[in-house]
Amino acid sequence: MSNIEAIRAGQIKQLPGVDLEDEDLSGSNLEKLNLAGANLVGADLSSSNLQATRLDGANLLGAKLAEADVRGNLLGANLMQADLNHADLRGSNLRGANLMGANLSGASLAGAFLSGANLAGVNLRGVDLRGADLRGANLNSANLKGANLAQGDLQGASLSQANLEEADLRGANLAGSNLTGANLLCAELEGANLSGANTQGACFVGTIR
Amino acid sequence: MLEGSILKNLVTNHQKANQPLNLGVYYKNTLVALCHALEDFILESSGAPLMITAFQQGKWYLQEAERYGEIAHKACQIAIMATPGSGFAEHPTSQKENVALVSLAGDDPVAEEWHLIILSPSYAAMVLCQELSPEDYGSQGQPAEDLERKFYGFWTFEPELVRETVELAIAHIGNYNQDLQSQLSTQVQGILAASGSGRRDDLGLVVGKVVTYLQNSQTNLSDQVSAGNASSSCLALDENLVSNKMQAFLRLAQLIDQADVNNTMAASQVTALAEAMGQFLDLPAWQIKRLRLSSLLHRLAPSLVKAVSGEDSQAVCSHVSNVEALRLMPRLKAISHIITHQTECWDGSGKPEGLAYDAIPLESRIIGLLAYFQERRSAYEKHPGNNPLAQALDDCQTESGQTFDPKLVEALSLLVMGMQQGMNIQAIQPKIATGMWLLDEYHGQVVSNK
Repeated sequence: MSNIEAIRAGQIKQLPGVDLEDEDLSGSNLEKLNLAGANLVGADLSSSNLQATRLDGANLLGAKLAEADVRGNLLGANLMQADLNHADLRGSNLRGANLMGANLSGASLAGAFLSGANLAGVNLRGVDLRGADLRGANLNSANLKGANLAQGDLQGASLSQANLEEADLRGANLAGSNLTGANLLCAELEGANLSGANTQGACFVGTIR
Repeated sequence: MLEGSILKNLVTNHQKANQPLNLGVYYKNTLVALCHALEDFILESSGAPLMITAFQQGKWYLQEAERYGEIAHKACQIAIMATPGSGFAEHPTSQKENVALVSLAGDDPVAEEWHLIILSPSYAAMVLCQELSPEDYGSQGQPAEDLERKFYGFWTFEPELVRETVELAIAHIGNYNQDLQSQLSTQVQGILAASGSGRRDDLGLVVGKVVTYLQNSQTNLSDQVSAGNASSSCLALDENLVSNKMQAFLRLAQLIDQADVNNTMAASQVTALAEAMGQFLDLPAWQIKRLRLSSLLHRLAPSLVKAVSGEDSQAVCSHVSNVEALRLMPRLKAISHIITHQTECWDGSGKPEGLAYDAIPLESRIIGLLAYFQERRSAYEKHPGNNPLAQALDDCQTESGQTFDPKLVEALSLLVMGMQQGMNIQAIQPKIATGMWLLDEYHGQVVSNK
């Protein structure tokens, strides 16, 4: 039995640092598997089950994770250019992860831990980020149009030139965040904390506070 | 927001009352289609409405003057506010007896607004908007293309809000013409007195019209794209049209809830329950979102009780037209399928197709069960001394295996146990202005399912 078949069959539990570059693991059950620091560059993990899987420090550059259940540990993982279309990332640990150029359309990130993550320029339009921890995250020039950030923690986050048009920021913590040049047209800011935020050049037309 | 404008006044009043309005951004392209749909419905409406409009400039009114002439035959009164332009007062429509023109001063903030307010005993609708100021347009500056100009504000069918705005508008007209002010006030009183009695127009038809007009506008847009006249923001215009079609449905659902005095929170409570149930069953995120949207719109279809007992067939028919309207929107096909089958029974004895067991879509089974549970619960809550949660669950358990999927009833009983121990399932009203948020996240999935 090849390595891949054994992984698919769930016979292996420990594979830290394994090299699975460009392998096809789509639709497989990798629940609770230890893949910490693994090389998954370009791997196909679409529709796979990665619940509680350890992917901390893994290299997922350009990996395909569309419609996968990724509610696991992705601490400091490299997810640049990864396809996370409709992936389930609710409550997952993405602290310090790099998501630049990733496709997150339709992904669910409610309650995810994204503090210190790099999301600069990422398209997060309409994405569910309710209650997410985005402290100190880099969201410069990110597209957050219509995104749901209600009750999110954005303390000290960098949102320079970000598009927050019609975003739901009710009860969000934006204390000390950088909102220079951000577009907050018709965003909902009821109960949001903006103390110490830098709002120079930001557009607040039609917002509800 | 401009001080002294009608929109600003309304928003301020609602902030004081702690009922914030859902403002959104609209392209002129969308507003034109929206206003035409709402205006043209007057011709089909059973009542004779009062219509108050504000145009930024007289020339925009002149573009609509022919259509307004037709509407004037049906309306009891039309009042038009605009800064005067050439030919403004001379147009035959302006000469009509029941058409009044109010020439706004150049520095009047209302001259920067775009309003359409319609109030009749059977129909109420309005669009309230302001154009972005040059500063608001930001670094890209004002668009060169007229249809790409941006406005912010909101639109609604809520009679109470429309009435409030009519009063603000009439008060503003009073600054220019006190005779007209008192005449309009009298007419409003007449309309309000008549609106208690008599049937209201079928909102499903209005929503159908709104969706069709927005759809046509979208078709024109894609024709332009294929003809090579595409400008960079065609995609944004297209998206704005889709977003407003969604809004039409969400507003309709909201009104169905409000109209049911016995159970005003049905849609949002069923949605909260459905979401909790989805999490509990560990459904994937995209399916939970589809479930959420279907739950929000589930009352657009005949309710379980009505379909089973065959009572109130009139109401059933009008609701079916709502689901028909849903099908007009390709992206909502899956949703309309789910809503249509929420009245199926587990044992195959339900309607409309008599599907049984797993042949009934999972989301339809969940919504059917939770809608019944919510309805029973709110009925028990009306009488003190009841234990609404336990009694409503008991009613559902009685039907388990016949009407409802036993596995789901079991899941519900665990959910109820959690609620009895203090688990908080909050009903949150969705943000209607950004209906796209609900739609976006799963439409890719719907396509890949087909």
